[in-house]
Amino acid sequence: MAGLLDKRLWVVSGKGGVGKSTVAAALALRSARAGRRTLVCEVNTQERISRFLEHPAAGPEVTLLEENLWAVDVRPQEAMREYGLMVLRFEALYKTVFENRLVRYFLRFIPSLQELVLLGKIMYHLQEKLPDGRWRFDTIVLDAPATGHAISFLSVPHVLVQTVPQGPMSREAQKMRDLLVDPAVTAAVLVALPEEMPVNEALELHAALKDKVHIRTHAAVLNQAIPERFTEADLEALAGHPELHRVAKANHDRASLTVLAGTKLERNLHAPVFNVPRLYLPTFGRDAIEQVMGHLEALVMGEK
Amino acid sequence: MSTTALGPALARKRVLICVGSGGVGKTTVAATLALRAAVDGRDSLVCTIDPAKRLANSLGLSALGNAETQVPASALEPLGVTARASLHAMMLDMKQTWDDLITRVAPPEQRERILANRFYQSLSTALAGSQEYIAMEKVWELRRKGEYELVVLDTPPTAHALDFLDAPNRVLDFLDNEAAKWLLAPALKAGKLGMSLFNRSGYVLRALSKFTGTEMLQELSSFMLSLSGMNEGFRERARGVRALLEDASTGFVLVTSPHPERMDEAIHFSTLLKQHRMEVVALVVNRVHPLPTEAMWADAATLTPTRRAKVEETLRELQVLAEQDGRGIAQLQAACPGIPLIQVPRFGLDVHDITSLWQTGRFLLGDDTF
Repeated sequence: MAGLLDKRLWVVSGKGGVGKSTVAAALALRSARAGRRTLVCEVNTQERISRFLEHPAAGPEVTLLEENLWAVDVRPQEAMREYGLMVLRFEALYKTVFENRLVRYFLRFIPSLQELVLLGKIMYHLQEKLPDGRWRFDTIVLDAPATGHAISFLSVPHVLVQTVPQGPMSREAQKMRDLLVDPAVTAAVLVALPEEMPVNEALELHAALKDKVHIRTHAAVLNQAIPERFTEADLEALAGHPELHRVAKANHDRASLTVLAGTKLERNLHAPVFNVPRLYLPTFGRDAIEQVMGHLEALVMGEK
Repeated sequence: MSTTALGPALARKRVLICVGSGGVGKTTVAATLALRAAVDGRDSLVCTIDPAKRLANSLGLSALGNAETQVPASALEPLGVTARASLHAMMLDMKQTWDDLITRVAPPEQRERILANRFYQSLSTALAGSQEYIAMEKVWELRRKGEYELVVLDTPPTAHALDFLDAPNRVLDFLDNEAAKWLLAPALKAGKLGMSLFNRSGYVLRALSKFTGTEMLQELSSFMLSLSGMNEGFRERARGVRALLEDASTGFVLVTSPHPERMDEAIHFSTLLKQHRMEVVALVVNRVHPLPTEAMWADAATLTPTRRAKVEETLRELQVLAEQDGRGIAQLQAACPGIPLIQVPRFGLDVHDITSLWQTGRFLLGDDTF
């Protein structure tokens, strides 16, 4: 299997609480270590990735965290302003228009304008070049919203192209759509836990990305996987120790669920599944991200 | 009998709203609360958003639809209890509920025009807070009909806590905004909406149309014109929804995972609820890892070496997770003084059948504790 390094836009999504930001942070760190200039984007959320990596929060400006690794929290107000300035070209004109109460009111109700400018900022960075003609960022890792929101967020260019009258918005949308659907550029990584709902959501997300957004699932990450430890014989031997039996049985059941979830993902996504074992660390910081990264080596670099 | 704050809430509140981040177990808690209230004698409805199919099955239903369905008594048989009142469940279909609302409040001649308008589509699906709004509007409607003594609402996964609390205000804002009136007034007076809108407001609107195109602005204006016929009915309901959220008979149950990494979201949510003068009945910390006991360690020491090693490894892992959870819970307690905190342990497997709902309920109500 080819690694993610062949692609430039890595979209990470899955159900809420499955560890999307953890996986996005680990992927971004690995890409940076591979010598790629990497930008990791969070979308209008409580920023977590910079904190995981033990750096100060990046905020809405693209900020260098460490060698080859930049982060940004893409927020609507700032993104709208950048977009506005790009279209209107003059700060004074922007202020007259965008700080007008009536305009602010209208902008809120223009369908999907907010998503369009958020995604637009990410796509802008994807195409940004250095003076010497190289890409400013080789890799962009998008820590996308959770399933439902991710689908509506990423389908915005499609929806706009189909519904909005010809005009500046539809032209922008068209450009973004072309990049998003290009399999040479974009790859999705779906994150799940070994539980029923997160796995089902990953399958739904896969189908929606394929049919509505035309983004291919590159791989799935099964986070908090529990490796097999107790055999049936162990459980039988523990029958006389009810409390310990309960603990061992729970571990055993979670391990079986991990196997089931992995099989279900593999069969339905037709994509490789990478297990990240559950970590037992007192605090969740850089150490944890480094460990997760270790389990995603083949996902990023490809099979040797 | 109950020793937690949820006991009196289940006995007296008319509406309980379960809120929290995605993946923390809101649906389970909501279903459990309705089940328990029905068993204890109040006609209850749980209104869920996107339940696991197994949860529907565990309630004896093959699937949940937008209609309220009574949970058959046979579904409760494994518990060995009989409900003293009825339990109903439904799954909210957002789009359908919006369409129903428009059908109810729009003048008949405007209905089709509104339902087909693309701004309506965005109001009903994409506008931040619209899903949250329609869920609460449904509860308001159910509450007004008064068929249930208790309605428990499981809320949609919310990207931003504020979207939820602000939803009625945004909808009111959409209808009320003086800017819209100012822009529309001349057109309304003239009886039709023409290009005059754009001539009159001059350069601001021309610049704005550089973003959106002129057609988009015209369509939006025309949509607002068609909405104006239903403003009063709509506005009255939105006010009703806002009042319902603040009503003394409504309570919020804030559900969170115990992990310290996730706690800031719960604390943020709780602060916002307080600012909005909404009552948080209880903080439910779900899926807490219990600390292995001394007796368990002692017992493990009596095992054969290989098994002992495996068991002790597992206990050490549990210990780390339990200590992590403990820190998260301490943070939450410190940040939300005065709000009762209830812990529900992580069970062996996911909570999807009626027995584990019941087990969850025993912790929520304090029959069992850590």
